[in-house]
Amino acid sequence: MTVTNPAIGSARAAEEPSTTERRSRNPFKRFWPQYVAVAPFYILFLVFGMFPLIFSIWLSFNDWDGMGQMKFVGLAQYRFLITDSRFWLAVGNTFLIWIMSTIPMLFLALVIAFLLHTNIRAKGFYRVAFFIPNVTSAVAMAIVFGSIFSNSFGIINSFLNWLHLSQVPWLSNPWGIKVVIAVMVIWRWTGYNSIIYLAGLQAVSTELYEAARVDGANNWHIFSRITIPMLRPVILFTVITSTVGGLSLFTEPQVLFGNTSNIGGPADGGLTIVLYQYYQAFNQFDFGYGAAIAWALFIIAVVFAIINWRLVSEREVDGQKVFKVSRKQRAAHASAEPTEVAAK
Amino acid sequence: MAFSRRSLLAGAAGLGALAAGGLSACGSRTSISSDPNELVIWYWDRSIDPALLSIAAKQIPGTRRHLRADIIGGSFDTKLRTSLAGNAYIPDLTNINSNVSLYFPNEDMFLDLDELGAQNYKHLYFDWKWELGVTPTNHFRFFPLDTGPTGFYYRQDVFDKAKIPSDPESVGAAMKTWDEFIELGQKLKRNVGSFMDITAGQLFGQYINASPQRYFDKAGKPLYMNETSTIRDAWNMAVKAIKAGITGNQQVSTDQNAAWESGKTAGHIEAVWWAQILGDTAPDTKGKWRLAKQPVRAGNSGGSFICIPHTCKDPEAAFKFITWLNNPQNQAQAFNNIQLFPSAEDSFTLGTMKSNTGFFGDQDPLTFFLEAAKEVPTSFISTYEAQAAFFGTEITNVEAAGKNPDRAWDDAVAQTNKILRKRGVHV
Repeated sequence: MTVTNPAIGSARAAEEPSTTERRSRNPFKRFWPQYVAVAPFYILFLVFGMFPLIFSIWLSFNDWDGMGQMKFVGLAQYRFLITDSRFWLAVGNTFLIWIMSTIPMLFLALVIAFLLHTNIRAKGFYRVAFFIPNVTSAVAMAIVFGSIFSNSFGIINSFLNWLHLSQVPWLSNPWGIKVVIAVMVIWRWTGYNSIIYLAGLQAVSTELYEAARVDGANNWHIFSRITIPMLRPVILFTVITSTVGGLSLFTEPQVLFGNTSNIGGPADGGLTIVLYQYYQAFNQFDFGYGAAIAWALFIIAVVFAIINWRLVSEREVDGQKVFKVSRKQRAAHASAEPTEVAAK
Repeated sequence: MAFSRRSLLAGAAGLGALAAGGLSACGSRTSISSDPNELVIWYWDRSIDPALLSIAAKQIPGTRRHLRADIIGGSFDTKLRTSLAGNAYIPDLTNINSNVSLYFPNEDMFLDLDELGAQNYKHLYFDWKWELGVTPTNHFRFFPLDTGPTGFYYRQDVFDKAKIPSDPESVGAAMKTWDEFIELGQKLKRNVGSFMDITAGQLFGQYINASPQRYFDKAGKPLYMNETSTIRDAWNMAVKAIKAGITGNQQVSTDQNAAWESGKTAGHIEAVWWAQILGDTAPDTKGKWRLAKQPVRAGNSGGSFICIPHTCKDPEAAFKFITWLNNPQNQAQAFNNIQLFPSAEDSFTLGTMKSNTGFFGDQDPLTFFLEAAKEVPTSFISTYEAQAAFFGTEITNVEAAGKNPDRAWDDAVAQTNKILRKRGVHV
């Protein structure tokens, strides 16, 4: 392994053959300026990224209160985790909130992006306005939402009252809590996703739209037949980022219920996986268990990554016409492949 | 390009060296201050009178040392525990909040104050407060700062409207037991639709705070499964309150604040420090609130401690600071400046404490809470109480989600025992 960078190495070697002989064979000595250039990042990453990562694996096999002696307990933390009903409740909550927030959010974002892409007035204003929730402090936001959804004094319940509907105990009912958190997520991330979609839309050739208009397509047809199919890779990207964000949901429930007697809110309705991990590590000072929860979350995330990856790679194999067929068959995942072969 | 390749490399090398150097410097010093004459204390805002700190910053009275006071922001416990675990940058003195039992398993990290002569000061402080600083192995390591005697805050105007007794004396007389408290609450609810307190969980917690027995004994043995136990009694009372509909099921602070402001919830059992919070959140209700004795006896909610980590560079000077900071005169001054309710009984007889009357009409909150402080029973808070939070969670489930109380109790016991077994407690 003398030439690690063929582009530079071979060019130089061709120009002045003598320099190769003068250079040391030790790759570190030869490339020290490059190593030095990347050193600041790697040293900080090793200390603040890599070490905690490795240490948390070790931690999850130990019992430690963060202060006294560490005690090796083998797989006991994971064994406890499997039987811990509160952990599974947190997993269920996380997925429910994720579904309740992601689907309406991505749909709304798509519609907003489509509308922003059309020729409307004050486009710039709307683009900024839709992005502002994303840069608003989550803490301030949770306080405002806490007031809006307040059980007896909130504006939502006053509105329901005005409509002669029965009030909903948003912040003490487990479903109400999930709705509030999902609405907070939607409010915060819809604008962000619509900006991403907008960028994707601008890459779509206008000829397609013009041709469709000439053929007499209305807005809905254009949206469903051109916009969505052309945006597929962008949509997939937002689905992946929303999955990552949804699985690590923490701030919203933490700010809503962090200072109440129970971290997850009434009946643990707002207990998410990361919130539970935080609670075990930094409230109960059970760092071993907190680390075990973190690695359980990692495994869940890996499963989702594999599903996402399968969706992507399937698309790369398919041609566009085949794809329409396979989309209809997506629900029956296992039968997808024979169908595609048949279609071909 | 503004940077040449050479200067960029030099800059990167410098940054790398800085990072490596900064990191290698960690772990070399146990004390946070290298100045041998400087003692460092960690505290949080409004837990020590700044006027007293500025005196000690020049010189700790009776010593040749001076004090540096570092305000530690959020997650105080995590930061303190981290420095103790890493044996680096440990302060010479530190405040610890009312969750002092969290440190009992690692009590050796703090000095036994009896070895520094703490017994000579014991008579100055409320017994029950002093005992809270004694560990299960009978070492006195956590010195009293302030206290939180409790009482029943209520809206006199709402009680008047409900045509029930409304002056402090007769309200206290009308609810000498928890059953009477619930009956009074039913009248209040029937006549004006208001609640006695925000949540059943609050009543549950304050019942326990006013009881000599709590979740565990000093040996760490759980008591809640006994045939008669404080926890079971508190639970039954809270369930009865839920069934009688006298608590508001207001589980989050925005709801709670709005309820007190509007009078929808006309009462609250809480410690003396809540008066300050109430005055800030519901200033318009000034003059409408009164204080009455809560059922059975007063309890204690909150109140912090001060202690000396084992690495302190001059324990004698640190202890001198503690006793000076907490002498009756200085505790009275701290009350006047930042409303820390004294743990030294003599503070009240000095005549220097200024009571803030206006908020409670013509009633003097200071005399009320002094009487309450004298009533507080001595109790033991175990380090495992942090794992027994399921009882509070489950009583909330009964109130907020309509869970069957018996099932909720069984779940609370089962979950608590499960966690305790995980922690190596034999149950």
